[in-house]
Amino acid sequence: MPNRRVAVTGLGAICAIGANAAEIWDSLRTGRPGIGPLTLVDTAGLRMVNAAEVHGYDPAIHFTPSQIDHLDRFAQFALIAAREAIQDSGVAWTDELRERAAIVTGSGIGGQSTQDAGFQDVYMRGRDRVHPLTIPRTMANAGASHISMEFGLKGPAFTLSTACSSSNHAIGLAMQLIRSGGAEIAIAGGSEAPLSFGMLKAWDAMRVIAPDTCRPFSRDRRGMILGEGAGMLVLEPLYAARARGAHIYAELAGAGMSADAHHITQPASAGPVRAIRAALADAGMQPEQIGYINAHGTGTIGNDATETRAIREVFGAAAEKVAVTSTKSMHGHALGAAGAIEAVATLLAMKHGILPPTANFTARDPECDLDYVPNTARPARVEAALSNSFAFGGLNAVLAFHAL
Amino acid sequence: MADILEEKVFSTLASVKHIPQEKITIDSSLADLGFDSLDTISLLFELENAFQISIPDERARSIRTVREIVEGVRALKNGNSLKPSSPG
Repeated sequence: MPNRRVAVTGLGAICAIGANAAEIWDSLRTGRPGIGPLTLVDTAGLRMVNAAEVHGYDPAIHFTPSQIDHLDRFAQFALIAAREAIQDSGVAWTDELRERAAIVTGSGIGGQSTQDAGFQDVYMRGRDRVHPLTIPRTMANAGASHISMEFGLKGPAFTLSTACSSSNHAIGLAMQLIRSGGAEIAIAGGSEAPLSFGMLKAWDAMRVIAPDTCRPFSRDRRGMILGEGAGMLVLEPLYAARARGAHIYAELAGAGMSADAHHITQPASAGPVRAIRAALADAGMQPEQIGYINAHGTGTIGNDATETRAIREVFGAAAEKVAVTSTKSMHGHALGAAGAIEAVATLLAMKHGILPPTANFTARDPECDLDYVPNTARPARVEAALSNSFAFGGLNAVLAFHAL
Repeated sequence: MADILEEKVFSTLASVKHIPQEKITIDSSLADLGFDSLDTISLLFELENAFQISIPDERARSIRTVREIVEGVRALKNGNSLKPSSPG
């Protein structure tokens, strides 16, 4: 088998800071957060008041009424991002390529808004039946299945769920499929739409949601802000992308995965350390080559200090030179979609030579002592970048991109 | 001439399938109107809501035409036996 290095040739995304990659880049470049008052649900009875919603979203712009019947919001986002990524890649489909096309999507909770609505009917309104499309709308693989149907893609397709690391695991596995020859092209990413009342009550109870906004690595950070959306990448063997003259964003040079084996929610640095090291080793890179890290950076007290320690442990002296930003400060924490949206942010940063800032940053924390590019984007060409995801459950996945 | 019940069945069919109501006649089959199996279970759900009835599975499986739906709903509304119409 030829050396199957993996190129990223297309990307698409939708989230609180934009309805497509171009809009998202404009927000990232200018450090403009999309966090604001929750409007999707009635906040009476909720502790949290703010979220990072996809603003002004109208499914009718993207789908027919019949399609909307079949698509939970999370699957709508998946399709919208996949359409954009495929269009962006400029791939010319043939029957043969369609049969060798993989789809790997991540989602932490799938179509829970649909399930939540059905349960409200049954438990609150005393109805004795739920809508018959509840199952096909709720299943976590609905996004992958609808992408497959819309584009006629017939290769390996599946969805995995590792909470906040879902997308990075999905992109990492899609990379392995391309490397191994299991697929000739892959659509990989994730989507999430967790802003339904029942889910928000559950997040309230976790007591990790900030009452104001998301201030990653800042001393007065008070927690995370929930977001929603999707991100998708098109991956191809590098030689194939070059042969067809495709625009290549970067090489997806490596992925590293690990489990903390520690605690179901409490972060620990040893697992992230091993995932970052594994990503670097897989990519054949040294820490000194990394100019930018798109951090997991949730804005919780625990994560940000732990992630800082993990980066310091792996990078040593090189930690002084790497820029670390959390774009969750702008697009919120989109859970299973987070890694994919952040991969898109990382690739756009590499393409444009501008590092998006950590927004809402007010004061340095002694426990968070890296270069977080506070509030204002920074022009910088980087040779390589990492994108971190560390999930509840202690499951970690880190992607390594290399400029070409 | 369509009575109120028939009219309501037609409007339910139209809204489930997102088609103009004028396309529907009493002699249309669900297949003619483009209903697949998933559309059909959505239709049954909406009919049950609209008419406050419960359509048993064995009856649901035998429905093929708009006429059968109208007759079936009327029978259920009238509290008639829930047995399926004469076996084929």
